[in-house]
Amino acid sequence: MSSLSKPWLHIRLPVLESFRSYLNAPVLPREKKYLASLPVLIAGALSFQLLSGLVLSLFYNPADAFNSIQFIDRSVNYGWLIHAFHETGATMMFGAVYLGLLRSLWLRNYKAPGELVWFLSLAKFLLLLLIGYLGYVLADGAVSFWSLANAIAGAFSLSGVPGGIGVWFFGGPDGAGTLPRLAVFHAVLAVAILGILLLHQAARRGMEPTVARGVGLHPYYTSQIFVAFVVYALIFAVLVFFAPHFGENPLNRGPANPLVLPVTVTAPWYLLPLSNAGHVFAGVWGSLFAVVARIALLAALPWLDRSAPGNPPGFLHKFLVFVLALDVILICIWAVQAPSFIGGILLAFFTAYFFFHFLVLLPLTTLLEAR
Amino acid sequence: MAETIGEIVQETEVLVRRDFLKILNVAAGAVAVGAIAWPFIDALNPTRDALAIAQPIVDVSAVAANTALRFVWMGTPIYIRKLTPKQIADNQFVVTSTLPDPASYSDRVNPGYESFVVVIGLNTGTPCELLGNDPADPRGPFDGWTCPCDGSIYDPLGRLRSGPASKNLAIPKFTFLNDAQIQFG
Repeated sequence: MSSLSKPWLHIRLPVLESFRSYLNAPVLPREKKYLASLPVLIAGALSFQLLSGLVLSLFYNPADAFNSIQFIDRSVNYGWLIHAFHETGATMMFGAVYLGLLRSLWLRNYKAPGELVWFLSLAKFLLLLLIGYLGYVLADGAVSFWSLANAIAGAFSLSGVPGGIGVWFFGGPDGAGTLPRLAVFHAVLAVAILGILLLHQAARRGMEPTVARGVGLHPYYTSQIFVAFVVYALIFAVLVFFAPHFGENPLNRGPANPLVLPVTVTAPWYLLPLSNAGHVFAGVWGSLFAVVARIALLAALPWLDRSAPGNPPGFLHKFLVFVLALDVILICIWAVQAPSFIGGILLAFFTAYFFFHFLVLLPLTTLLEAR
Repeated sequence: MAETIGEIVQETEVLVRRDFLKILNVAAGAVAVGAIAWPFIDALNPTRDALAIAQPIVDVSAVAANTALRFVWMGTPIYIRKLTPKQIADNQFVVTSTLPDPASYSDRVNPGYESFVVVIGLNTGTPCELLGNDPADPRGPFDGWTCPCDGSIYDPLGRLRSGPASKNLAIPKFTFLNDAQIQFG
């Protein structure tokens, strides 16, 4: 093929040629599941968050955060809609992230040779949690103000490396400089996570078995992704227009008051699976331990799972993953209730079950089923 | 033979239907993309309160003849001066070619509201705010404005008569809504 027969742009931008072969090369297996397009949906949701966040950042003023958000909601043209896009976008993105994590637990594709994909998806999850938390405190409502104040006080009370990192991150006691710094972190990390998404996608592509007579990404999988996107967009639209504050503590809609502590200081729903720890583990070290321990459990999955690579997941395993999902949902439900005796016991029980699943049930069942 | 024609008709129908679906989908997609993009684009437009500040309406009914109202708009002082019949008569028929920056009476006032002169009250040479809004201010030989910094002299229409400056006073963008109200912007 002479270079003259190529399109004008492709001669001048050779990278387009490799992009086209990436799209069209007929090497992918047929009939992948719809849920396999979740990472693409997450990338799309993140781009949408960046766009709506860009518009919000033009009007957001960290020195007068709560009032500037009121200004966005009331005065900026379509500001209420962009704000709802951003909030609901976070809900939808975390929905996709949690669904993807559950799918990984279910299919056990964290086992070798999928560990790197698993670690990258965990890194993505953790960064998104951090960005989500920062976005939550940027609202500067009655609840998130106290959440931030507690976090900073906690960081200052810790000794050693964890305290040093915390103090370094928040840059001093809760004051005039805190929210501007966190606003920049929120935005910069949100852009930086695009890099992790690209790495994750490349690692996933590397894991795909190459098929001799397969199908191309385009148009076979692009149309599948499009269908998944339409479903995603429908749910998104319903939430934006009918439940724009889904999963938030309604008390956070009031302005922050440093002298009044709200009845419940609870994060948005997507932070609850990790942030309920204060009820169960006492003290700052306890909360820190609970978060780090749960992340460590997820990261240790390739070794906690004793099954042989390529072993299909058995019925018992699937059932236990289902119970684990239920357990996490129950943790979230009980974490947002006002503190009570029963609630405390139930939360402790559900949290204990979470650890029990990963440390005892998972290794045992996978050993059993590997036989 | 009949079957072949029937097949051709069927295939054509399938094609027509597919074309129709394609057009329908692309059209609906374009509408959806536009509906999503519109709030993002419109959000960057100025808010209504910012526009209201940028396009203020000034009440000039209380401006007495031979005085001027001073009003700051977008950081520059605006002078709204009501002329006396004598000032109009003195300046109406000046031969424009004798002026440093030739402009006729009708160039400086709005038709129907000839007694009002609306100018930016900054000297066009050294940028100083002019004196002469109040009858007690130094107004110079033409009963207009003078510059306290470089001594330029303007007549009541805001035309330059003498001085280091070389231009007439600038006229801001405004419209008379009625006898009593001027909207800027």
